[in-house]
Amino acid sequence: MSTRNISMNLSGASFRGMRHTCHIRYVITLFFLSAAFTSQAQTHKLEHRIIAGLNIGGTAPVGLPNTIRKIESYRPEFCPVLGYELSYRHTPKWGAALAVKMDYKGMYTKDEVIYFPTMITVNDGANKGEFEGTFSGKNETTVRNAYVTFPLSAVYTPNNKWRFNLGGYAAWLFSSNFYGNVSDGYIRNGGPLGEKVIIDEATFDFGNEIRRFDAGLQGSAERRVGKHLSILGALNWGLRPVFPDDFKGMDFPMYNIYLTLGVSYRI
Amino acid sequence: MLRKILLSTIAICCLYGCIKDAPLNPEADIETFTIDRSQLTSDVFIDQVNRKVMLYLKPDAFDKGVAPVLTLSAGASVTPASGDSIFFDNGNVPEYTVTSASGENKKTYLVEVVAIGEWKWAFEKWEINDKDKYQYLVENDGNLVWSSGNPGVALSGVPKNPEGYPLRATTDKYEGTYAAELLTMPGTALSNLVGIKLFAGSLFLGNFDSQSAFLEPLKATQFGQPYQGRPRSFTGWYKYAPGASYQDKAGNIIPGMHDSCAIYAVLYSGTTRLDATNIHTSDRIIATAKLPDGSGRGNFTRFDIPFTFLPGKIPRGDMMMAIVASSSKDGDTYRGAIGSRLVLDSLEITQ
Repeated sequence: MSTRNISMNLSGASFRGMRHTCHIRYVITLFFLSAAFTSQAQTHKLEHRIIAGLNIGGTAPVGLPNTIRKIESYRPEFCPVLGYELSYRHTPKWGAALAVKMDYKGMYTKDEVIYFPTMITVNDGANKGEFEGTFSGKNETTVRNAYVTFPLSAVYTPNNKWRFNLGGYAAWLFSSNFYGNVSDGYIRNGGPLGEKVIIDEATFDFGNEIRRFDAGLQGSAERRVGKHLSILGALNWGLRPVFPDDFKGMDFPMYNIYLTLGVSYRI
Repeated sequence: MLRKILLSTIAICCLYGCIKDAPLNPEADIETFTIDRSQLTSDVFIDQVNRKVMLYLKPDAFDKGVAPVLTLSAGASVTPASGDSIFFDNGNVPEYTVTSASGENKKTYLVEVVAIGEWKWAFEKWEINDKDKYQYLVENDGNLVWSSGNPGVALSGVPKNPEGYPLRATTDKYEGTYAAELLTMPGTALSNLVGIKLFAGSLFLGNFDSQSAFLEPLKATQFGQPYQGRPRSFTGWYKYAPGASYQDKAGNIIPGMHDSCAIYAVLYSGTTRLDATNIHTSDRIIATAKLPDGSGRGNFTRFDIPFTFLPGKIPRGDMMMAIVASSSKDGDTYRGAIGSRLVLDSLEITQ
């Protein structure tokens, strides 16, 4: 079993690497485009910022289903955010901003579930097999997904100290992890009336099932603390379930809901 | 502004914090079914897959009826009630209907009295499991005395048709219409998760306890049925073609190693079944009859193996007889050759 996991991780890593390079190219292109734009426009209306921070939050259902009985522990994964924002001030108070960010979103949870419906689809060459059932027991899940995110927002700057952003974002996945294990419980084959099968421990990995594209709402507030430096808080609320509709590993939609805490530096 | 950040944080925490009321229990199992031991020739087995309670009764208990005590899934109710008497006269097959605490689910169990009249089988009568579509053997009277690993394989996401399972009926028979075909098959992506890369075909007298299928698979195969008398020999017809490449538990091919089949009978004392962990080693074993050479046989070949009694062991009191066959003799440790095929027909225990 361990050899299998290792080989899976290795192949996953090289795959991710490839996608990663591809997205970096987008980022660089955008950077040059913005630089070109800058040289042509009136410089004083354009502002450049570097954003850095950490994401804290969850890839979670909105409202817990009653099959989740207890959250035993939760901790954010180390999820850095690094980005560049270009904004344009149309009037002294109003403007618009476009940014590009490397955005890690992740968490770890340990919970207890009861009668939790799940369906696992297995492709073995030409054969397609399925296991469907309800699980009662403990579950541990680790999520760590990396996106290239493009937030587009309206900017309101009421005074010299505060700055607010509100808008939406589009994000492309370039690396995904969604794995964990179930333990100390049982699964019922087919549903609540199926036969009980005791589960000591079994692992799952739904990393490859995560959708490549995410979109949602985002808003932020910045408070200036130095000549160039501001502290920043942002809420990013995904509106697209992270798993496709035909994914039945969990019977409820889950969304990326993350708070960014960090700083912005005006160049 | 910090207030706004704080509010957002609280909103997120709320997603985790708001645990709803527990759902009502939707399960409706008979978990235990207890009858006075003095009335039984073997432990009661609740077949949760086929929803049958299998009783192995002494003749007196069969004639007078029994008053079983039941335990159920939490909050469930049952009719007839636990402690009520049930009777088997005039071919009556008692039924228990369990209703879940949630009220939405009902499950009906049939109570079958299992007795083997003649220790002789032609493997002619097969049925198909409703949900998972694997085949299983039934006696002419509908009793279940044979079992296999099929209910375990069903949990691993194989295609739901009889050909997807390692035990099935075949028309490649010695006599009658059908014989039992045991085929060693590759594991599935799902079975790989619990370290199983190969399923050997198996057929045995006894029961498959699904509950242990993942936790302790060797304990899931419960071997044996109540037996009386002194067995003389174990006879039957078989043919066997080992698969091309023998693999170890990790799935590595071992060059030069050949698969072989296992066919054996074991007589042991007591009323509690032995399983794959102790069928060869228990000190309750009285006598055995094992096919000495499990190598390939192209045509149907007869075996007639006299029982060998262990020193000082006498067949008396409560006894059980197990018959076990596998298309890969190391299949219990998930080693063998994919494609190994054993066909069995016309088994008999003679006295």
